Amino acid sequence: MLNILNKKNILLNVQMIRQNRLNRLGIIIITLSALGMIAFFVLKALQSNINFYLTPTQAIERGYENLNIFKLGGMVKMNSVQKEGLNTRFYVTDYDNETPVTFRGVLPNLFKENSGVVALGYFDTKKKIFVAKEILAKHDENYSPVEIKNND
Amino acid sequence: MYKYVAKYLMLEKVFKFCEATSFASLLVGLVLFALGAFQALFIASADIQQDEIYRIIYIHVPSAILSELIYIFLAICGLIFLVWRTKISTIFLNSAVPIGIVLTLLVLITGSLWGKPTWGTYWVWDARITSTFILLLQYIGLYVLRTSFNSVSTSDTVISIFAIIGAINIPIIKFSVNWWNTLHQGPSITTSGSSIAGEFLTILIFMMISLLFLSYAIFARNIQSEILLRTRKSKRLQGAING
Repeated sequence: MLNILNKKNILLNVQMIRQNRLNRLGIIIITLSALGMIAFFVLKALQSNINFYLTPTQAIERGYENLNIFKLGGMVKMNSVQKEGLNTRFYVTDYDNETPVTFRGVLPNLFKENSGVVALGYFDTKKKIFVAKEILAKHDENYSPVEIKNND
Repeated sequence: MYKYVAKYLMLEKVFKFCEATSFASLLVGLVLFALGAFQALFIASADIQQDEIYRIIYIHVPSAILSELIYIFLAICGLIFLVWRTKISTIFLNSAVPIGIVLTLLVLITGSLWGKPTWGTYWVWDARITSTFILLLQYIGLYVLRTSFNSVSTSDTVISIFAIIGAINIPIIKFSVNWWNTLHQGPSITTSGSSIAGEFLTILIFMMISLLFLSYAIFARNIQSEILLRTRKSKRLQGAING
């Protein structure tokens, strides 16, 4: 019994514990990087499904006629909004390509020219216009205070 | 190094440290929170585009950052437990999980309340929102796992593995707005600077710090109850804690 406690055995024991630790660390790192790579490839394969909307360029690449109902997103083109009662017509642009959009309904508050928008609907290939059923405004990452001019 | 750290992370020392700091941290946190909330609600001016509704970022952004940081902390604790078999790291892990649940819930609720007037919808399944929702499920999973095993050592190992694997979701949340088209806006604070105006950013950091103190106060109390629960059969430790 006492033999177990001699110095040589203790040192051996410590070495074994250290080796086990290293082994466990190795297993965890290898497993995690394997899982990370799996996640990466799965997400890459699903890329087009994870995208919340298609930009006009992406929609043209896929061909409007191949898409049923989809979400079109981008910026509302400057000076393109025309309102007639509840009907609104405007262009969605990604600065390379643009798509004309028509919408009948109430627009969200943040909908304005040169600001982000996501429209759900379908592309009418006869009239060459995207008919939106629902419009969401996309906010940008800028936050700045209102300049208060009345105070001076 | 190991000996040095182990000396300060003995259960009774951690217990006493938590005892000494948690209430003070709660007070500091509440004062900072009150000051921050006052500035956020009354002093800060309205946003040029969103008007008053933007003020919700003062809760939304700090709790989002913290919920992700806490998850990274959980994963590191899990890794340390699996490699070095230190009990204290799973005590930390278990104690931080409920805070993560609350913060992630806060992120989703505040975000959705902000989304209705800003985007026009409470909820969409875009990459950022979905991955954050998955984070909430991960936290809930960790919380449930803990009570699902008869032996503490099994649940500690399983929780650690689960926490480490789940860490894959953190970079996905962070970069979701860069990798995919999302309804959620892109990052405001990047390495090239902040697109949030300076006066807003100061309050945001203020709120972040107050939330850190508040979270720590709860974290410390959770650690204490976890230690008491785990050492209830050891007379030596109970004596050391009480004496």
